[in-house]
Amino acid sequence: MIAEKTYLMPTTVNEALSMAKANIESFTYLAGGTDVMVNRFQGNEESPCLIDITKIDDLKGVKKEGDQLRIGALEILEELKNKKEIVDEFSMLIEAALSVGAPLLRKTATIGGNVLCENRCIFYNQSEWWRDSAGLCLKCDGDICIATQGKKACFSELVSDTAPALIAMDAEIELVDENGTSTMKLEDIYTGDGVIPRNLSETAILTAILLPLNRGFKTDYYKLRERESLEFTSLTSAVAMDQNGKLKIALSGVDPKAVVVEGTTDDDKEDLIKKAVKGARAIDNDMYSRKYRREMIGIFLKRSFEKLKI
Amino acid sequence: MEILKLIVNGKEHQVLIEPHDTLSKVLREKLQLTGTKLGCEQASCGACSVFVDGKIVQSCITPALRVNGSVITTIEGIADQNKLHKLQEKFVEKGAVQCGYCTPGMIMTTLDFLEETPKPSHEEIKEALSGNLCRCTGYKKIIEAVEAYVDDEPIAAGTPDTKFKMVGQGRPYIEAKKKVQGSADYADDIQTKNALHCKFVRSTQPHAKIEKIHTKKAQALTGVRAILTGKELPITFGVLPISQDETALAVEKTRYIGEIVVAVAADTEEIANEACNLIEVDYSPLRPYFDMKEACEDVGEDEQIHSHSKFNNNIHKKAELRFGDQQEGLENADHKVEANFDFQGISHGFTEPHAATAWWDENGLTIVTATQVPHYLHRYLAKVMEVPMNRVRVIKPYVGGGFGGKSDPFPHEIIVSHLSRVTGQPVRVRFNREEIFLTNHGRHPTTMTMKMGVSKEGKFDVLDADIIIDGGAYGSFGVVTSYYNGVLLQAPYKLDNFGFRTRRVYTNKPQCGAMRGHGAVNSRYAVETLIDRLAEKIDMDPCELRFKNFLDEKTQTVGQYRITSNGSSESLKKVMELSGWEDKFKKLPEGHGVGVACGFFISGSALPIHWNEYPQSVVHLKVDLDGRVLVTSGASDIGQGSDTMLAIIVAEILGLSLDNIFVVAADTTLTPIDLGSYSSRVTFMAGNAAKQAAERLREKVLDAVASIHEVDVSELNIENERVFSNDSKVDLTWFAAIENATRKVGALNTSGAYNSPKLGGDFKGAGAGLSPSYSFGAVITEVKVDKETGHVKVVDVWGAHDAGKALNPLAVEGQLEGSWHMGLGQALSEQMKFRDGLLLNGNLVDFKIPTTKDTPPIHTSIIETQDPEGPFGAKECGEGAIHPVIPAVANAIYDAVGVRVTSLPINSEEVLKAIKKKNEIVEKEVQEA
Repeated sequence: MIAEKTYLMPTTVNEALSMAKANIESFTYLAGGTDVMVNRFQGNEESPCLIDITKIDDLKGVKKEGDQLRIGALEILEELKNKKEIVDEFSMLIEAALSVGAPLLRKTATIGGNVLCENRCIFYNQSEWWRDSAGLCLKCDGDICIATQGKKACFSELVSDTAPALIAMDAEIELVDENGTSTMKLEDIYTGDGVIPRNLSETAILTAILLPLNRGFKTDYYKLRERESLEFTSLTSAVAMDQNGKLKIALSGVDPKAVVVEGTTDDDKEDLIKKAVKGARAIDNDMYSRKYRREMIGIFLKRSFEKLKI
Repeated sequence: MEILKLIVNGKEHQVLIEPHDTLSKVLREKLQLTGTKLGCEQASCGACSVFVDGKIVQSCITPALRVNGSVITTIEGIADQNKLHKLQEKFVEKGAVQCGYCTPGMIMTTLDFLEETPKPSHEEIKEALSGNLCRCTGYKKIIEAVEAYVDDEPIAAGTPDTKFKMVGQGRPYIEAKKKVQGSADYADDIQTKNALHCKFVRSTQPHAKIEKIHTKKAQALTGVRAILTGKELPITFGVLPISQDETALAVEKTRYIGEIVVAVAADTEEIANEACNLIEVDYSPLRPYFDMKEACEDVGEDEQIHSHSKFNNNIHKKAELRFGDQQEGLENADHKVEANFDFQGISHGFTEPHAATAWWDENGLTIVTATQVPHYLHRYLAKVMEVPMNRVRVIKPYVGGGFGGKSDPFPHEIIVSHLSRVTGQPVRVRFNREEIFLTNHGRHPTTMTMKMGVSKEGKFDVLDADIIIDGGAYGSFGVVTSYYNGVLLQAPYKLDNFGFRTRRVYTNKPQCGAMRGHGAVNSRYAVETLIDRLAEKIDMDPCELRFKNFLDEKTQTVGQYRITSNGSSESLKKVMELSGWEDKFKKLPEGHGVGVACGFFISGSALPIHWNEYPQSVVHLKVDLDGRVLVTSGASDIGQGSDTMLAIIVAEILGLSLDNIFVVAADTTLTPIDLGSYSSRVTFMAGNAAKQAAERLREKVLDAVASIHEVDVSELNIENERVFSNDSKVDLTWFAAIENATRKVGALNTSGAYNSPKLGGDFKGAGAGLSPSYSFGAVITEVKVDKETGHVKVVDVWGAHDAGKALNPLAVEGQLEGSWHMGLGQALSEQMKFRDGLLLNGNLVDFKIPTTKDTPPIHTSIIETQDPEGPFGAKECGEGAIHPVIPAVANAIYDAVGVRVTSLPINSEEVLKAIKKKNEIVEKEVQEA
């Protein structure tokens, strides 16, 4: 029996939460849909109840609130470049947003969706038939990791391009669920477990991204990809240095979670690179080899340090 | 079910839909707006782009209910009634439309982008279109069209001069307007009443005995009309008569992951899919073979992939030819090089998925299908269905690219034909992108060792190649491919001592076949990079070395190919001049380099696949009292412009404008035999047939006019839609002339046919690669290499190609640019990556076709030579150009960073590895010193 399919379109966060609660076993939230809809096409996402949150106006808008810039979760990636507040202080976010997929996709994709996009693995992002042929992996209810041919952990990668940029600039996220509103550091939502890559409560909605104002960030950003468009990342590297010499490195594409290394401009650069490479549990589940991606971490960071003159 | 309200292109609609239906499904299936194309269904090609409330979306990933109540504009709503939008006009005028499948998405994306950025730079246009994949054009003419629109360049009005100027005048395809409007129907756009939908259960095993197929649960599902297994269609087929090794569905055993094991016909796609999910297949695994070398080893009979194999291993075909003495050549050569090469498989990447609809009626079977060769499909449908050919009709609608990938008869075409016969209803099928990759028939993965030797004066003494090609599970064109890997190395250079051995092996992977540049692309890479090494050894400019060795025109190769016109030298000179070669080669800074390579290709195979004396192409003309000439031809226009080519030739001979020409092509009942669109044969062969038919029609008309008006026929002229005598006493409109002729001779019909002359030597294998004519060309590329990441950026491509006489230069340029673009993909980013027989990247994200941003400026030169037998001197232009571009990139990388990459694709990782290896060697040498 095929479960009845529904498509719900709440206009407020509270309405969305109650819809989620009512369909707790069967729903998924849908924002731009550029990730979820592709995963649905491949049978990796099969929720019968889709709660489309794109009509919730409270999730839109960019504005300053105290010492933070609040970016609504539904802000469209391609449009971030038109927001003066972001251009002024957080240009790396724009660079990151414009490196996502291709322009066509970015006109639909939201920043909230990008931060929460599902982890990827070449042995997982495949059709149902394909996964049957390969043998089911941990991320689709199997017993072992197919990519590593036997490990008991899932190494699907965080592939958000905006997340490393945001994390490097100390972004927080605002979440709303049945228990109310809370904020947390963006990097803290990633678990490092490829099967359940984010530790959000079931009904939680990411409502906004909060960036600290007046930190005077100097930044540098790289994305490893073979083509200059239409690509998921194989390694995204974001480095931010604030006016007090605080240094933060964030990587995606090389680990189930964001790899974060914090320090100061006085730290030994080689040590920072070593820490980043050590933190990246990359495996061979990408068109590039694990070895190459890890090697590129060092190249990208070195370039960033040079560019930022640290 | 939910009610969806939309205003689409100004019309209100209310439709019942499933809650999770996508917008593309609603537009295409409920509203019949099939101008919105599906290329990937995963938002990675852009073909399905439409506007929702003025904003662009990819409709394949847009939930329909999200846009409930919205105003939608699709490509069908862009023109103002029948007046094209100016951007559409520019797409037509500039030749930005080839197969036309990506065109609607390109136009929608452009219009959206220009709203925001009305005066974009070249780079901004590239950026904006970088999510729209095109496999035909290399994007060059698309970007030119956008720029011309932005600059408000006036439409080049058709002058009386261009109206009647045919051969040599660049003009858009005759169907281009339809394609930019989204009204050209491709196979899946044709909606047939009451059609059932066909879906497949595909093998999950690379090599396994099929023990049992459980279909009971699926059969019980409401809406399932038929379930088909291999035993019901046991007759074998294959495009070559000598490789009849495939069945429509796996019978008894399966030979690759992805092979069709069961087919279901059901009322809807969803039911068919569900039924497939309910079917279980029990397999007993057999030893699988994935490695080419392993497949050459002897095995037990029960372990062979095909039991009919002649050998005790999995070798399908051995091809070997030797001319002169390679051993002696090597001994005599002053300098020798030898290298091993590895090439990954490449898929054609056409944007239109395979699709077909079949039905039976009083005339037997009719199938509308995306095919390059209706004729071969016709033959094999008859064979497998066990009906005479007169009970089968194959119709080719508009086809969204082929590049060789739609030139075999395919299992799905046979299956829907059979299921339609069983159910008595039309049956349709459309592949998803993964299924296209699994069906494959693409370029063979290849491993080879090649040796070349040169004298110190720069004469090539020897070329010897030992090649293994990985055919996958079935034969396809593989026997031809085996030969082409070798024989197509005997030009464009003089070689006395030339030999090769190719072994094609079966492995448990999707089968390989013909792809643009068939057979010789990989071995050309090897030769041209070895020439670069030899040039270095004798300290000679690689261009000079090539000039020294080019074959002349009107000559013969060592394997007795007849060379007629030969534009090799002119091509190379042209690209040297335009690229500034002399100032760049070995002179650019570290990390920056230029590279050169040459190539040649056949203009159709002189020997048909089915050895017989029938003509290879026939064209019929019919003209009636309306004065319009009906051209019927079996040639398949798959986006390369062959319908337009036929129209141009007929119009040229008869002095007509295209208004008086009507082309009907590629319908096996309505049109005469033509062997199809492959091996770059159509312009040469169908073009010659059309020319002959038109000349005969001209003769008939002029004879009639001469006789009625009592003038000598030699006094009569036919041009600008008039027939007139030298003294102007007779001056008739075309219409009046036709009336005259019809009065005189009754029905006015003529036919023309082409058959290649008998060519070649009388040794075994002499027929391989024989062609009535050969094209030649050269490419120079300029690259920049990031030495720390290995990333290669091609910054410029200069290409020149001897296409004989360019009948339609706009179309010729389009073919060349498309070839060079496709070559860049194989050079740098494309590969079919497998693990244990399972394709890892069967999608357009991980199979990396270059986007606009990855495509450098392409500088196109058509080199015109007159072929004595080609129609008006024309030769091929659709395939040969791909050969030189790939090695030209590799040679440029060497000039930039001093490393030779001997495998394709040359992705960043491979380049970096090579750079490191080189540095290690240098360091070691320094230490030792």
